[in-house]
Amino acid sequence: MTDIPGLPSRRSFLKGSAAGVALSALATSASAEKAEAPVSLEDYKREFLNDAEWAFVMAATARLIPSEGDGPGAIEARVPVFIDRQLAGDYGSAEDWYMEGPHDASASPQLGWQTPLTPAEVYRQAIPAFDAWCSKTHGDVFAGLAASQQDEALTALQNGDVELQPEVRDFFSILLANTKEGYFADPMYGGNHGMQSWVYIGFPGARAAFREWPERHNIKYPLGPVSISGERA
Amino acid sequence: MARQEKKKDVVIVGLGWTGAIAGIELAQDGLEIVALERGPDQSTVPNFKYPNQIDELKYGVRLKMMQKLSQQTVTVRRNEDETARPYRKLGSFLPGNGVGGAGTHWNGLNWRPMPEELKLKSYVIENWGEDIIAEDMTIGDYPVSYDELEPYFTQFEKVAGISGYAGNLNGEIREGGNPFEGWRSEDFPMPPLPRTWDSQKFHDACIASGYHPFPAPAGIASTAYVNPYGMQMGPCNFCGFCERYGCYQYSKSSPQTTILDALKRKPNFSYRTHCEVLRVEMAEDGKTATGVTYFDEEAQEEVFQPADLVILSSYQLNNVHLMLVSGIGEPYNPATGKGVTGKNYAYQMNGGISMFFEDDNFNPFVGHGANGTCIDDFAINQIDFGEEGFIGGAYWRSGTFNGQPIRNMPLPKGTPAWGAGWKEGIGRWYGHAMSIGSHGSNLAYANNYLDLDPNYTDRHGRPLMRMTFDWHDNDLRMNQFMKSKMEPLAKSMNPDIMQVGFKGPGAHYDVRPYQTTHNTGGHIMSETPQEGVVNRYCQAWDKHNVFVMGAGNFVQNTQYNPTGLLGGLAYWTVQAIRTQYLPNPRPLV
Amino acid sequence: MKTFLRILAGLVVVGVIALLAFVFVPVKRSAPTQNLAADWQPEEGQGQYVMYAGDCVACHTAEGGEPLAGGRPIESPMGTIWSTNITPDPKTGIGGWSLDDFRAAMVDGLMPDGTHLYPAMPYENFRFMSEADIRALYDYLMNGVEPEENRVQATQLAFPFNQRWGLRAWNWMALSHEAGFKPLGASEMQDRGQYLVEGAGHCAACHSPRNELMMQDGVTASQKTFLAGGVIDGWEAPALYGPNSTIAGWSVEETANYLATGRNAHSAANGEMALVVEHSLQHLTDADNLAIAAFLKGKDAETTEVAGVMKAMPQPEADAAGEETAAMLTEASPDMPLGPRLYLDNCSGCHFVTGKGAPEIFPELENNPMVVSAEVGPLISVILNGAEVPSTEKRPMKLVMQGYAERLDDAEVAELVNFLRSSWGNDAAAIAAEDVAKVRAAQSTH
Repeated sequence: MTDIPGLPSRRSFLKGSAAGVALSALATSASAEKAEAPVSLEDYKREFLNDAEWAFVMAATARLIPSEGDGPGAIEARVPVFIDRQLAGDYGSAEDWYMEGPHDASASPQLGWQTPLTPAEVYRQAIPAFDAWCSKTHGDVFAGLAASQQDEALTALQNGDVELQPEVRDFFSILLANTKEGYFADPMYGGNHGMQSWVYIGFPGARAAFREWPERHNIKYPLGPVSISGERA
Repeated sequence: MARQEKKKDVVIVGLGWTGAIAGIELAQDGLEIVALERGPDQSTVPNFKYPNQIDELKYGVRLKMMQKLSQQTVTVRRNEDETARPYRKLGSFLPGNGVGGAGTHWNGLNWRPMPEELKLKSYVIENWGEDIIAEDMTIGDYPVSYDELEPYFTQFEKVAGISGYAGNLNGEIREGGNPFEGWRSEDFPMPPLPRTWDSQKFHDACIASGYHPFPAPAGIASTAYVNPYGMQMGPCNFCGFCERYGCYQYSKSSPQTTILDALKRKPNFSYRTHCEVLRVEMAEDGKTATGVTYFDEEAQEEVFQPADLVILSSYQLNNVHLMLVSGIGEPYNPATGKGVTGKNYAYQMNGGISMFFEDDNFNPFVGHGANGTCIDDFAINQIDFGEEGFIGGAYWRSGTFNGQPIRNMPLPKGTPAWGAGWKEGIGRWYGHAMSIGSHGSNLAYANNYLDLDPNYTDRHGRPLMRMTFDWHDNDLRMNQFMKSKMEPLAKSMNPDIMQVGFKGPGAHYDVRPYQTTHNTGGHIMSETPQEGVVNRYCQAWDKHNVFVMGAGNFVQNTQYNPTGLLGGLAYWTVQAIRTQYLPNPRPLV
Repeated sequence: MKTFLRILAGLVVVGVIALLAFVFVPVKRSAPTQNLAADWQPEEGQGQYVMYAGDCVACHTAEGGEPLAGGRPIESPMGTIWSTNITPDPKTGIGGWSLDDFRAAMVDGLMPDGTHLYPAMPYENFRFMSEADIRALYDYLMNGVEPEENRVQATQLAFPFNQRWGLRAWNWMALSHEAGFKPLGASEMQDRGQYLVEGAGHCAACHSPRNELMMQDGVTASQKTFLAGGVIDGWEAPALYGPNSTIAGWSVEETANYLATGRNAHSAANGEMALVVEHSLQHLTDADNLAIAAFLKGKDAETTEVAGVMKAMPQPEADAAGEETAAMLTEASPDMPLGPRLYLDNCSGCHFVTGKGAPEIFPELENNPMVVSAEVGPLISVILNGAEVPSTEKRPMKLVMQGYAERLDDAEVAELVNFLRSSWGNDAAAIAAEDVAKVRAAQSTH
């Protein structure tokens, strides 16, 4: 079976599954007793992203924070779930922002968010545009490219070498910011699964109690993190 | 027609730091007071409670404690040729919202101004002559002196529960304190907090360089504390979720820990939340205000609240906006230099250096909002303006605030922003970086000002306020001066890698990165009605029953964070109201 | 089975009554303990002050009702007793009562018609109040309080407890101490404290044990069991006096701070005690709260001010008993057991690794009676549901601890409780997850 364009490629599915395995292995370790193995990324019931977008977000975050090397990748951390939920929520709809017109999407970047689009709309409009660029330039939608091509494409996107409407010009930085948010936010938002990113960098999470530490100079804080809901790792 | 509420003696607009102060002090006199607050009610429990507050995404990134720009915002342009565009998404500054105001989620760095800063114009002229004041620089003297305000600084610090160590106790310079500060009549209410490893390293380097390090003055309790109102604080545990967060631990100076529960016991005080004040209403003759009109979110209707005395304490931005839409003071016109309301808007000029030490563990998550060791060796009163070619100064600080990884992940230049290299970088460097910051003055200029925007309106149909603001060479030069001084010091600490970040010539204001919520000026104090909006008692020149609180009173910004000064001014103002105005309501000047 | 036991109990009561009829004890009202001049007038405010000291409002006010107009249900093992309307309303209150009638109720638990009051009304204690205070209180109730017409639900207990004459035997045994106050004479200050504690304050109603017949066991300071600790509604009211006093480590001033503000350097008042502070003790003068403290501690106070302001109170270090636990927590070793790990993950921010909390704001957990009590309900409830010390005049801040019902499951709470009860020198029996489940199912503490 060949990959269907716009749908998650076999490879990204495999990534999803590998992550599934890694995670369920982790879920049984003694310190994470509260974390139950969540649904796999394939079976995850999406709240906002459609199939093509999900395929893109899976593929893109997997390059932005790859799984190779020490520390969890975006897939292990379930960053795509985080992004999907954020876009479905009040962040995605720019609930708290001033969104009245007139809009000048081409205003100086230093004037901040000026596109008429909400973050969710930016994803919705930018992904097909970027996928189209990938198809034109590399012969397939982003999710269908090889990792090295994907990195190239993302670099082009980052550097502004992909022609995008001004309304979505900041897509790369939004995507990257959301990816890191999902990597590091409390697990209750869907990402940072099993607090793996916190364990990796040595951040104690939602403990927030260190009275005895300010003067313990230059001693590495030893204890693993705790999450808002009380998971331990 | 708006609903009308029962008349009160006093209406307080905004129940943040200064509104709470006005409330509790005026309540002593038995006046019937109502405070109107646009945001929700907030108490330590449940609103800041553990562990729900310890949520970087919600509060640190999505900024759920802050003003919702969808409810109220400003437009921004850097010069008159640009079309101002709305500040749509929070970035550069984060105005507070809800009971307690920004006082709930500030850092707690609580400074007094230097005596010289309050008389800046005279100080400059006396020492270097008029000429070094640039054409477009509109600096001035405050119509009140440090010596006059000192008792009120002290009073605010006792109420707020500040930790620190006095460097100038009634003129005596004390080792370990700030030798360059203005005199203090008493030592700090609480001793300083312990030093973290980065502060210690900075402290040692400063000593070695002959500087004068001292603990940052912190609105963060170092011990259990009971303030003059019987309100209480618990010792801070360096929880590392401080600025942008409410303190779950009763440790941060805030209206909640220092005023509100005592205020709520007063039978003559009441407050209403979700009430956004839209206008101050005026008597026929325009000489006095008759009260305020606000929008009641619950009832979804406008309500008129009559009152004999109106206190505006809705933060600098909102105060100026209210005054512009209500016609308090003549709007400032940069073309003619006439008019006052909106004039002398100023901000803060900051810079800093990051240093990476692969073998040191800084545990950045062990910290609080006002942590650190400071030096004032490059303060306003330590610099030869004539020699250096700028007017201004800065204090430096080093100490962990927080180690929240989404926002606080310093990486050496050259580390990729994503991909395998980034991931490797965060594993390698998290916890091994420290920084020194320079927090500097930003003076007043003829073309940095606030007025009403012609294109954009808020949900009530009021024009948004327009901010015209950009960096000026004077302050950029000041910043470059700090860079030149800080680099050698940083080098002396032998970091593995070091990275310098100071805005230089040609830099323009960028609304995206957070800088500070130290917006000042716009309804400045003055000796005469021609120069400013309020007199020395922060009483509106043209409406004697309107008093205005907050940093909007600043003639130009100081080199410090504003709250110590505006807290002192608030006590100064309520004292004037209680002793001079209430017995005989009139223009006090 | 209930019926069966009731009948047995009935027989017993009837038996005792028959015995009494035989011995024949006529029911008499006690005489005034002081001879005051007929035209004696209380001082301005004296009556209201006695009312505060006696906490009449706490029981004689219904949820949301007018003060003193009665109607609060008092749960007792015998059934629900409804407190009465003691405003001067002639129809439904005590407007028609003479001073003698009033004294008889306060001192002998007798109604004007000679029937007995249920001892839910603490006449066991009020009988020690001075004639002057009783008269001042009478004067206040008659002239200082608005009459409220409020017909209170009649108390209807099941047989045999609805036979008020059955209380004759009870009273005969319970009211064995003469009316009137007998000072120990330690000092003027301590005598004043003893007077308030034994009498109006009715501290013994909760802090003394009760015997099999539900009588207070220890109503005066001359009894061994006086304030030796009681249990009320699943809460331990700790021993305050004598060899096992839980406040042995508190100074007189600290004790007075607790009384006036519900908080001090060691502990915080919760449950019933929070109400006593809120409704009664915060209204007493500094001198009186110091006097109570002086009496309880057997030592005069060295200050005249309670709960002063403008204080920075240094953090206490771990003491000898607590050192080991504190050191272990400070190390923060990842392989510590679950109990201390939970403490670091949840509690140490406020109660600190020392278990010492912070003065007047975060209670000590070391040696805290609630932590080591045999009654584990309150401790579990505080962890699950949090706790709140009310706002008081001298310490206006509502002091609230948040609850952990959502973050900790039953097994975790049990682990944590067992850690608390066995650390910093604490040594109390372990509990199980089931104990937590029970409290979780019941209501919250605040």
